[in-house]
Amino acid sequence: MRVGVPRAMLFHHYGEHWLHFLEKLGVEAVVSEATTGSMITNGAVHADNETCLPVKVFSGHMLWLKERVDVVLVPRVISEQYGTLACPKFMGLPDLARTLDPDLPPILSPRIHLGDRRYLWAREWYGVARALGGTRLGSATAVAGLLYGLEKHRVQAVARPPEEGMRIGVAGHLYNVHDSRVSLGLLDRVRGMGAAPVTVDQVLPSRARTQAATLSRKIFWGYESRLAGAVLHWSRTRSVSGILFVTSFACGPGSMVGALLEDQLAREGSVPLMTITLDEHAAEAGLVTRLEAFTDMLKRSSRAAGGRLAPSGAPGRAG
Amino acid sequence: MTIAVPRMGNLSQIIRDVARRFDLETLETPPFSEQTMEIGSALAPEFACLPLKAVLGSFVQVLAMGADTLVTGGGHGPCRFGYYGEIQRRILEREGKQFRMVVLEPPSVSFKAFHDSLRSLLPRQRVRLPTLLNELSQTLSKVVVFDKLEKRALALRGLEAEPGAVDAALEEAQAIVAAAFTRKEIEMARLEAEARFRQVPIESGRPHLKVGLVGEIFVVLEPFFNFDIDRWLGRRGVVVERSVNIADTAYPMGRNPVFGYTERAVARAADPYLSHEVGGDGLLTVGASVIFARRGFDAIVHFLPFTCMPEVIAKGVLGRVSSELGIPVLSLSIDEQTGRAGVQTRLEALVDLAWSNRKKGAARLHAVLS
Repeated sequence: MRVGVPRAMLFHHYGEHWLHFLEKLGVEAVVSEATTGSMITNGAVHADNETCLPVKVFSGHMLWLKERVDVVLVPRVISEQYGTLACPKFMGLPDLARTLDPDLPPILSPRIHLGDRRYLWAREWYGVARALGGTRLGSATAVAGLLYGLEKHRVQAVARPPEEGMRIGVAGHLYNVHDSRVSLGLLDRVRGMGAAPVTVDQVLPSRARTQAATLSRKIFWGYESRLAGAVLHWSRTRSVSGILFVTSFACGPGSMVGALLEDQLAREGSVPLMTITLDEHAAEAGLVTRLEAFTDMLKRSSRAAGGRLAPSGAPGRAG
Repeated sequence: MTIAVPRMGNLSQIIRDVARRFDLETLETPPFSEQTMEIGSALAPEFACLPLKAVLGSFVQVLAMGADTLVTGGGHGPCRFGYYGEIQRRILEREGKQFRMVVLEPPSVSFKAFHDSLRSLLPRQRVRLPTLLNELSQTLSKVVVFDKLEKRALALRGLEAEPGAVDAALEEAQAIVAAAFTRKEIEMARLEAEARFRQVPIESGRPHLKVGLVGEIFVVLEPFFNFDIDRWLGRRGVVVERSVNIADTAYPMGRNPVFGYTERAVARAADPYLSHEVGGDGLLTVGASVIFARRGFDAIVHFLPFTCMPEVIAKGVLGRVSSELGIPVLSLSIDEQTGRAGVQTRLEALVDLAWSNRKKGAARLHAVLS
């Protein structure tokens, strides 16, 4: 049996653990290819026209998998941390996927609810494992491995080798930032301008949580809470010279957290912040021009500040 | 302390009731207008949803009128509504306004937070907790009566013998109920109001369509944003039933006394199409549509604010409900630029389609019987 896994949305958070789970069960996993332009177009045509860009990209991946697999794994993510919830789109994702095309292969949608300390949702993964032909012991081991992996993911930061140059914080959803087609190669473009991008997953979750707790109202979306914490950490420790806030068109939590961060950073007198909104029509030229302007501004202000890495004082805002 | 609460359907009636019970000084927010939307859209984040912009605009207007305490609802997600208060406070502070923002957390999230925020609004600090709860439960029973009257009006408007008769009855009935305060008075007022409705001349034999109205509570309840859909459909001889009501949202334990189906029944109906809570009114929209379709309604009208997260999921799923249960569904997404003519053309098309379906169905039935 061939199990399809779309390389979109939370695959960029938990994909390795899902694949590990399938591998332990001895089933063949088919991960969709890296996003292409035609996938995005196809997804945008079939998905609801008002959904956000990542859901359209996800739809493109689902349709790519349609002819190639017997069953698709789309976990339903309810929460990623204790006391938070995920974006509603993650909760309804398997149901949205089923509406795409009546001929889609069956969808397996076990829940991931890391905020539920009783781990009742792990049973659904056990059910999936058994349905995929795992033995009792094999299924239990695979589920235990998955839980261990998810738990580790929840508390650890991703370590990447340090890069040369001025550091720029890239605050955005991992499925936008790490998908080079969706973000139009944002990270590489930043590198090309002589800066070193730092992403949200490189900030230790506990550190982000401490910073997010200083906000006057708790952010109830798990990933956005971590993102806001990471941005506050970068800005308060001056560990980056500037911050790019990357969001996608029609992103609900993004619209709120973006407004919140702009206001909070302006009040604190932080490093410069620029917001970039991605959609399926985004053109490279527009992005490059804005990135160049932003990095040039950062370089100039760091030179004016006497070579200090981060400028202080009133925040500059571009875009 | 002058308190202002955003406007939504019957909410202003309810605020008047609460104000009278606890001697609060309140200021009614002006009705939504083009100007409200202009102020709101200019200040709010670009991709925020419509209710945030509308409420922000009316907060600016009411602050200019002399209010100093703004009250809004809270919540712990995943709908964006739970974060409105915080964003609006920050935006208004940036504009240099002087005010206090009180976010009323729903008691289901944390009773303590609800109680604390409510206490901070009461001038008489010596109201004991049992008294407070008793008064609130009386208000809630009044809200249920208000919403049931409205439900009655929606069902009757399409059948009224003379235009405007139902609206006149509704207005009188609401005035009767608004004057009632104790449990006994509310019950008497309810009976009196229902008697008032029985006087409305009805042509019960007239052929009519049945349309279910579902969607996000703010745009479904506010006539400015749904272009007064209740009366528009009523004038065309359509009997309407709607899924969302303030009373159902406020009522504990998900009992939905006005809609008539408990939260569990709604979730069960929605399960084949949407099998998990998605925040806001998303699951209710899908469940209610399925229930309406099963009850033989002719069409469903779905209102949502542009980019509303739960309702966009519901909108995607409703396509499947429509094709599998064979009921036309019209999703209307509303933002500050939506034009009345565009919405009404589409509604007219839906009504025509429902009539032609009805005729086709009747012809088929005739063919089977003969």
